[in-house]
Amino acid sequence: MLLIIENIKLAISSIRANKMRSFLTMLGIIIGISSVITIASLGQTSKDVISKEFEAFGKNRVVIYMPFSEAIKDSDYFKDEDIEKINSKFKQDIEYISPSIYAGSEVKVGRNTAKVDINGVAQGFENMVNSVDVIKGRFINETDVRSRKDAAVIDEKLALKLFGRGEAVGKTIRCDVDSNITDVKIIGVYRTKPSIFDALGSSDRTTMYMPYSVFSSQLSYIGAIDIKISEDKPAQQTGQKIADFLARSKNRDPGFYIIQSTAEEQGSIDNILNTLSLAIGAIAAISLLVGGIGIMNIMLVSVTERTREIGIRKSLGARRKDILLQFLTEAMIVSAIGGIIGTSLGLLLSSGISIFLKVKPVIDPATVIVSVVFSAVVGMFFGLYPANKAAKLDPIDALRYE
Amino acid sequence: MKNNNENVIELKNISKIYAMGDIQVDALKEIDLVIEKGEFISIMGASGSGKSTLMNIIGCLDKATYGDYFLEGIEIREKNEDELSFIRNQKIGFIFQSFNLIARTSAQKNVELPMIYAKYTAKSRSERASLLLEKVGLGSRAGHMPNELSGGQKQRVAIARALANEPAIILADEPTGNLDSHSSLEIMQIFKELNAEGKTVIIVTHERDIAEHTKRIVTFKDGIIISDERR
Repeated sequence: MLLIIENIKLAISSIRANKMRSFLTMLGIIIGISSVITIASLGQTSKDVISKEFEAFGKNRVVIYMPFSEAIKDSDYFKDEDIEKINSKFKQDIEYISPSIYAGSEVKVGRNTAKVDINGVAQGFENMVNSVDVIKGRFINETDVRSRKDAAVIDEKLALKLFGRGEAVGKTIRCDVDSNITDVKIIGVYRTKPSIFDALGSSDRTTMYMPYSVFSSQLSYIGAIDIKISEDKPAQQTGQKIADFLARSKNRDPGFYIIQSTAEEQGSIDNILNTLSLAIGAIAAISLLVGGIGIMNIMLVSVTERTREIGIRKSLGARRKDILLQFLTEAMIVSAIGGIIGTSLGLLLSSGISIFLKVKPVIDPATVIVSVVFSAVVGMFFGLYPANKAAKLDPIDALRYE
Repeated sequence: MKNNNENVIELKNISKIYAMGDIQVDALKEIDLVIEKGEFISIMGASGSGKSTLMNIIGCLDKATYGDYFLEGIEIREKNEDELSFIRNQKIGFIFQSFNLIARTSAQKNVELPMIYAKYTAKSRSERASLLLEKVGLGSRAGHMPNELSGGQKQRVAIARALANEPAIILADEPTGNLDSHSSLEIMQIFKELNAEGKTVIIVTHERDIAEHTKRIVTFKDGIIISDERR
């Protein structure tokens, strides 16, 4: 214990005696560790961001599509009755179902006009997606869907544009619904949760939600069904079961309809990110190896330079292991200091990049601990050979060394 | 083999043979030498006489090829490298011609070194080092680095360091070799005082006038003792 403290003091005084050299030696480790940390935390941050985006889009959400093929018959399209059938057969498995209906329109209030994307949805849509937050009025309910009510829930940006600071809920807007100019009553206003894609440029088009049932002409030719699988059920498999059920009911082979789930998409993006992080991380790890070789090189120089000191210490009673520990401690401290500086730099860099991209940085404490420990291990591994060389010196030869 | 406890050093039939390529060099040839506790002795000889080889053996830095060496009754021949380190630490106080202080390390810290390897606590180390520096007249220079000290001062720091663990012998290799005559006298004076306190002091030198300060002169030539004068 006593010797450990003495060795640490010795190492620090030796590092201070050769400041420039020690710094350059550390630089290899600093660059290695900081790039490993930066890449690891950026990888973690992007996975986190993407998983939040998917949550906003809807966890366990599955969309069943028509196949992209020319051999499609009219009977292959989903009908309103199919929705009912799924609803009764898979009641336990699903939390939400609606035909997936999208339309575009211009809305008019007096002289104000704006472009909107209309999304036909069913009740409960606001609970499936995480991105819609009703701030005024209410969302579409079961009665609206059943009675085909011309009701709409609009974005607060649209409300501001059309009505200024005035109340929007209860007002009527004119727009094109299912190819008919219709007066639609606003029943709610929602706010969108911020997304990373906001930074990529925003359009002035907003989404307006209406009961899907108002698009009656589309209900015999539904191209896609939007479903939320209960969160305790596997999304992909359950979605497949429903798709196969639909295929059978239309005399098609199982697998005829295409299903797409958020879980699957997220998995594949995570996979790409993991592979990318691993590849760049491996390159960064090589720079750490090069840093380690730098430490070994300088330690060998240091041992040669201090041959006489080693001789003196041995003549005064230092044992092999005392000398070994002295030089090993020095190598480990050089690389641990490099590791600490590198970690701080890496954290700073990844936080900086995250802030620049306007996302919350994610720092995994395990990454930090592993990096610092790993840098000390690098120091130990590459310091061992020079330290052992020093420990094995013959005291008489070492004392004679000029 | 019996040995007398009053004998600090007993060398019996010591030979040292170096193999230099195909040629064997007999550096020491069957040396017998006894040094008693409290002696002040110089080992003299020209370079190549074997005196440095003998010093390395006495200092436990090297082992004899043949023969027995007892240091305070301890048989050295059987010891391994780490045990020899321990014996050097505890029993031998080295003083070198070129001082051999560790650079960028204060006089105080240099004196503490042998005590670090002897596992003294930091406090007792520091107290004893101050005391020893006081003793060699450098109490006020404890914080100075070796390059801030004169040759004579450096050698006095080295003496303080040699005394740190209260060794059985002070073993000085040409201690005045790098000093002017004034400093040389000062250093020899310190050795005399240490001897007067009862310390065993062995000085290896090739200078007759340095050897004259001691009470016994053993002269080497070609690996054998050619004279052993007590005065």
